[in-house]
Amino acid sequence: MKIFTCQDRLEDIMTCIYDAWAEALRIGHDQVQLRKEPVFQQTMFDEYIHVDRDCGKAEKVIRSIRRDISEEAYLDVYYATLAVQEDALQIIYNFLRVGFAVGKTVLEQYSNPHVMRMLELRRRVSNESHHFREFARFQSMDNQVYVSHLEPKNDVIMLVGRHFADRMPSEYWMIIDDNRKTACVHPKDGSNYLRYLTDSEFETLRKTEDYEDSYTKMWRTFFQAIAIKERENYVCQRNLFPIWKRKHAVEFTIGK
Amino acid sequence: MLDTYHYTNKCSKKRLVKQNACLYNENMNRDIIDNRYTTQEKLQILADAAKYDVACTSSGSSRRGKKGELGNAEACGICHSFAADGRCISLLKILMTNHCAYDCKYCINRASNDVKRATFTPEEICELTVEFYKRNYIEGLFLSSGVLKNPTYTMEKMCETLLLLRTRYHFNGYIHVKTIPGASDELLAAAGYLADRISINLELPTEAGLKTLAPNKTMGTILNPMGKVQNTIAAHRMAIGKSAYMERSRGNQYLNNGIFSEESKRLFSRKLDNAKAVMQTEDKKSQDLYFNKKNENLDGLLTWNNACQLAPHDMSRLKRSFAPAGQSTQMIIGATGESDYTLLNTTQQLYQGFDLKRVFYSAYIPLNEDTALPKPGTPAPLLREHRLYQADWLLRFYGFQVGELLSEDRPNFNELVDPKCDWALRHLEQFPVEVEKASYAMLLRVPGIGPKSADRITYARRHGKLDFISLKKMGVVLKRAHYFITCGGKQMYHTPIEEAYIVRQLTSADHVEIWNARHVNETFTQMSLADFGIG
Repeated sequence: MKIFTCQDRLEDIMTCIYDAWAEALRIGHDQVQLRKEPVFQQTMFDEYIHVDRDCGKAEKVIRSIRRDISEEAYLDVYYATLAVQEDALQIIYNFLRVGFAVGKTVLEQYSNPHVMRMLELRRRVSNESHHFREFARFQSMDNQVYVSHLEPKNDVIMLVGRHFADRMPSEYWMIIDDNRKTACVHPKDGSNYLRYLTDSEFETLRKTEDYEDSYTKMWRTFFQAIAIKERENYVCQRNLFPIWKRKHAVEFTIGK
Repeated sequence: MLDTYHYTNKCSKKRLVKQNACLYNENMNRDIIDNRYTTQEKLQILADAAKYDVACTSSGSSRRGKKGELGNAEACGICHSFAADGRCISLLKILMTNHCAYDCKYCINRASNDVKRATFTPEEICELTVEFYKRNYIEGLFLSSGVLKNPTYTMEKMCETLLLLRTRYHFNGYIHVKTIPGASDELLAAAGYLADRISINLELPTEAGLKTLAPNKTMGTILNPMGKVQNTIAAHRMAIGKSAYMERSRGNQYLNNGIFSEESKRLFSRKLDNAKAVMQTEDKKSQDLYFNKKNENLDGLLTWNNACQLAPHDMSRLKRSFAPAGQSTQMIIGATGESDYTLLNTTQQLYQGFDLKRVFYSAYIPLNEDTALPKPGTPAPLLREHRLYQADWLLRFYGFQVGELLSEDRPNFNELVDPKCDWALRHLEQFPVEVEKASYAMLLRVPGIGPKSADRITYARRHGKLDFISLKKMGVVLKRAHYFITCGGKQMYHTPIEEAYIVRQLTSADHVEIWNARHVNETFTQMSLADFGIG
């Protein structure tokens, strides 16, 4: 078995799929596997092949997905590349095998397990990005730049950022992924870009979370006041707003 | 006692202030500037006063953001947080003021209650909305109000606030405004242009109920503006090439029996015509249909087709469409003795007659002591509210009609099983359904299958055989569905299609949920020695 590994970025993943597919044409699809790096535990009798990004190859894969399957399928694949699951790459690969065989109707084949797993992955990513659209909280120290910290499981900050680019186009803001140390930055009236933060930058930006202003307090007041005591239902609250997503939601943190 | 009349009687003002400090204070009629409280304290008071309003949704309006402005609107709606009661916080839900000239018995802000009263200035509301919005705390503003001085004055202030928010603060997000019954048409029109959704609370489904609990409101003052607003919405929708009726969930186009289908619309208008003809022969003099009918229930004749359109001042420079997210209303559950049948019938008439986008229910929590109301401490009918919402969904998404769910003989919902299961159990002759062949409409009627899974089934069966495992993956709740379906000619388990058996199975599968729903107001704690007076 040949196992192709690559880094967790769109171009790398697409290049990896290209190389694995080329190899599979020679030795058969069942003889290749795809894994995300880092691989913590290697199996003994398999050959591990690291793949580096090659924009040309990535471009070819993306082009053929869009042409031979459909635009929507490409969107699904793109969402799936953002997923945190270890076997996400293999799921995408299996989906593409079905997809290239049957064409654009693949997205309606809910009874095919490969397709179903892929759609589950997509749903998970888009649900999480929707949740963080809801639960992201911005804080500003100077009423000029608004900063939000998130700790999502999947890599969704660019998806979240796209929503805010439409919502607050004429403000400076950034959304920081505390786990991956990346930031989605939006300049006033400009377009979003992704930035990999250095450690010192990250530490500086962390401090925005300690800052609170009168609106933070007022929001807490409002949050407390709006609940009806007679209907108290913490189980329902936790179902809809899980505790791990509350880390940066100021209404749940205790103020100074 | 003096509740309503003392506002008009200026001579006795001094005496009133002395005698009834809680009923009447000087600040009540002072202008809207109110310096006694800080903004934070006002927010506490006015959010607390607004919390019994339901309908905190931000859906139904889709609008892109603009450069230089703040905000957009998402069709699906966005909840930003969930309060301790599990309800979503989507909008900044506040009252402009909780001073109120009315004395509705169910309301915490009734004139004769002794509560802290405060009033926001328009600027305060705007600042709060914009700053909260920028921090992504809220999706927009939900502005309601007590009646300050009179309905027109209150509505004027609310419109002023919204205009300020839209123009000077360049706020482009979602706004839901409650209209005050009795406000003038011009103000109603202005509010419609400024807000995304406009709503007026029906509160109680019968005229008699209103008379006992809300003496200052009548069916006419509530339904009249509702009809006018809907007619104006329809005109605006047609002017930009949409259909006169609001968009409904996509599945509705395949449901011939549903309340939004062409067939139902035709039947409804025929019924109206018949009723009108009867009315005219009975009483030739009655020109104004709104006020002369004294029927117990909400009258089918009151529809937006009969209402006149609002002719507002020129608002075209705002370049906004009229209430794009439509209209909604809310009813109180359990304050008076209406049956579920009455409530749901009213709901259906509101959807068909006024094309409302939503009807909300609010389980009544006894706040005021009054002989006409349940005693304070009576638990809120949360399960009943839940069943009504389930039924409301059946009307809007599943193609059911009220007549199928309830009847005069069975006016209330079953506590143990949900309305859809209840319907299925009474129509076992239509089951089991073969999922590989059944129509979309029939699939939707199976307990455990919803619009999404029905959709997926209809796609998936074109491409291959189905089995129970793939059905489960598609989102079918087999726990409920497997009694009612066959897949490839086989049931999942060999179960009889018998009412008693299925009821027993369903209630034992859900017994935890049912127990929780019934005992939601009870709390238990570990006993300690202190309970026995030791330690």
